[in-house]
Amino acid sequence: MNQRRKLKVVALVCERSVDFKDKLDNAHYMSECPDVNVIQLPCSGQIQPAMIEAALKGGADGIITTGCRIGDCHYREGNKFLRARILGERQPKLRASVDRKRLQAYWLSALEYHRFKEMAGEFVEFLSGYQPETPQKPEKKAPSKAAE
Amino acid sequence: MSQATTNVYAGIIAQFQRLTLFIERILNSTFSQKYNPFYYHGALPNFFLWVLFISGLLLFAYYNPTLEGAYPSLEYMTKQIPSGALFRALHRYAADGMMIFVLLHFFRVWFTDRYREYRILPWITGVILITVLYLAGLTGYMLIWDSESVALTYMTVNFLNSIPGIGSSLASLLIGGDIVTDYTLTRYLFLHLGIPASMLFLLWWHYLRITRPVTNAPLVLNLMLFGGLLVACGLWPVGIGEAPNLATPSASIEVDWLYMLPHGMLANGASPFLAWVVLLGIPVAMLLLPYLQKKQFRGQFAQVVNENCTGCSLCYHDCPYEAIEMMDRDDDTRFKRIAVVDPGRCANCGLCVGACAFKAIEIPRMNTERVFKEIQVALGSAQS
Repeated sequence: MNQRRKLKVVALVCERSVDFKDKLDNAHYMSECPDVNVIQLPCSGQIQPAMIEAALKGGADGIITTGCRIGDCHYREGNKFLRARILGERQPKLRASVDRKRLQAYWLSALEYHRFKEMAGEFVEFLSGYQPETPQKPEKKAPSKAAE
Repeated sequence: MSQATTNVYAGIIAQFQRLTLFIERILNSTFSQKYNPFYYHGALPNFFLWVLFISGLLLFAYYNPTLEGAYPSLEYMTKQIPSGALFRALHRYAADGMMIFVLLHFFRVWFTDRYREYRILPWITGVILITVLYLAGLTGYMLIWDSESVALTYMTVNFLNSIPGIGSSLASLLIGGDIVTDYTLTRYLFLHLGIPASMLFLLWWHYLRITRPVTNAPLVLNLMLFGGLLVACGLWPVGIGEAPNLATPSASIEVDWLYMLPHGMLANGASPFLAWVVLLGIPVAMLLLPYLQKKQFRGQFAQVVNENCTGCSLCYHDCPYEAIEMMDRDDDTRFKRIAVVDPGRCANCGLCVGACAFKAIEIPRMNTERVFKEIQVALGSAQS
């Protein structure tokens, strides 16, 4: 397992959801899951679908988006809007051509760092053996975790 | 307010926030995220308001607001009308439930830091609403007009009379004259209908700055609350006390602490002055709470990049605080409208940024450019 290459997983995380205090190194990589680079934003509602697309285009193996528990957004609706955008139900929509298997969305409170670590670890494990189908066809959407 | 005090206060609130999140985690594992009652803390009191309105209509239909007729009409409702006692109990316990859930709403909003700056209007109207709810409940207890209500009336009159200067005028405003007469009961009825009616206006004000207020909880939660109310009605049926006697009122009252805070204190030997300090001090302290912390984003608000804005109005629809308005534009672009931000309402949350597909709106504390840059750095593809 130690043989595998280091993956590039970008996590776009709401600063009010999972608490990464003392969990990141200077370059924002998680010390307990070094494949994951965490970028914190004021709210998950600020995440533009273009950011997810840009990261995948730029060579990321996977993307994680994380907001607060659905129902508990500090700004009322940010996490619901992001979920709807990923599911293609709200403008601007995430493109249908984006490989949904390389994208996961978690909804976690500030107390649930361990849950994040667990799920991110499983995701990295999955991505390390994942070969995207080529050519990608947008006709079939893979189930996204966003539906949780 | 010194820096140190502010920090201590912020630290305490942060601990209470962790406690709230901890309780919510437990509730999420029992109710699931979708039906977590804490996520509908603002909507649940509205359910009680509906119960109060409907049960109150039935009580109002049979109530006789006269000195001689009030008690017999209550007795008739309780003993003769089928399930009349149930409706009285529903009315009583829904009032208690409403205050309990309003206080839950209050504490959650306070502890999760959702009560200041751009939320100041809901906070102030919320404090007024709590006061109004309190007065509505208190006048309800007086309206029963059994021997305890007479005691409550005398207690309230004495309590008002303890204010130097204007006390006696306030007391005669309450009971409609210098002594208890028929007018007292009509006055009580007016207060008990008029004060709750003002809540409709106040609730509109409470929701004014919120684009999509959650005013109804899911049906399943409402049914659970209604079940709880019915259980309370079955376990502790609401009866009626002894007939009123103006000369010899009941020696003691059964204190509902949610609606009779000063009365309870007076009954336990506190001085009227202390009771007034507590009664007035609580709402004043509530109103002052938002000013204990310094502002987070002084002078910052979302900035529209005029040359990029296409007037598509996605940010306008997404803004949760109605801080964005679409205005006509007449500069040299082919677009007819432009988004304009109201600085006083903006929360700096960035929801408008997430809604924008044209890089036309930015919040100063986390520029879109910076997010893309950080993504590039994370992927090791940044041009340095």
